[in-house]
Amino acid sequence: MSEARELSNIPYDDLVVDARFGPYDETVTEDLAARLAGPIGAQTPTAFAPPAVYPILFLRALRRAMGGIPAGSILAKQELEFHAELPVGSQVHVTTWVGSKEVKRERPFVTIEFDIRDDSGKQILTGRKIIVWPTGPGEQA
Amino acid sequence: MSPDTSSFPAVTDTVTQAEIDVYAELSTDFNPLHVDPEAAAASEFGGIIAHGPIALHAFFRAATQWLGTEAAPAGSNIRITYRAPTRPGDRITCRLVEASETEPGHFEVSAECVNQDETVVVSIAATLVAA
Repeated sequence: MSEARELSNIPYDDLVVDARFGPYDETVTEDLAARLAGPIGAQTPTAFAPPAVYPILFLRALRRAMGGIPAGSILAKQELEFHAELPVGSQVHVTTWVGSKEVKRERPFVTIEFDIRDDSGKQILTGRKIIVWPTGPGEQA
Repeated sequence: MSPDTSSFPAVTDTVTQAEIDVYAELSTDFNPLHVDPEAAAASEFGGIIAHGPIALHAFFRAATQWLGTEAAPAGSNIRITYRAPTRPGDRITCRLVEASETEPGHFEVSAECVNQDETVVVSIAATLVAA
């Protein structure tokens, strides 16, 4: 993969459906899990990754893949499917891709998919973000 | 043992700029809308807004407390609709709208996170599986 582009610079027309980014290695450290298990930032010890870890891993993968969520975008929906519990200290591998893009009610919607697996290849979580993109067909960023 | 559908806890979080800054650090999402008061003031939002999942955090805490787990058990899924921005100082409360046990240990849950003005900022539909 070449160096990440700023996602905010990627117009709708240039998004390639099904082009994979990653997998990116991440470790769910004790500190990360503890800061998300209770009030954000507080240290709440936990043996397993709390659900709040996964949107964080989504955002990290987006940053590494494409420079992050584009400026001017609106996060409309998010979905999380939990396949296995993840012990704290585990390394995971995050793959992300544009699952679909379509214009609905004159608004450009982009679905970004995520697949998170552990070191053994076991699927831990799948999910997606549905974003109203700041540019539509034929528009420049 | 399955949780009681009548005992879903109401969890409240007060969102602070310090929390938003921590979230930016953990997620590496330093969008100026979240961390730059001047840039955010000049935006259509007129000021800082929190990262979307911050408004969802009260639901995550309520759901895991209710299930008596640290993680979301396998087979669970959560579908979130973001409806309004959350700002520093907002008090976000997660409350249950409806829950039913569709088969032993499987719950269909509808919940919402509201701010201090009773504006729904996040709606949640979830399938939660008791561990």
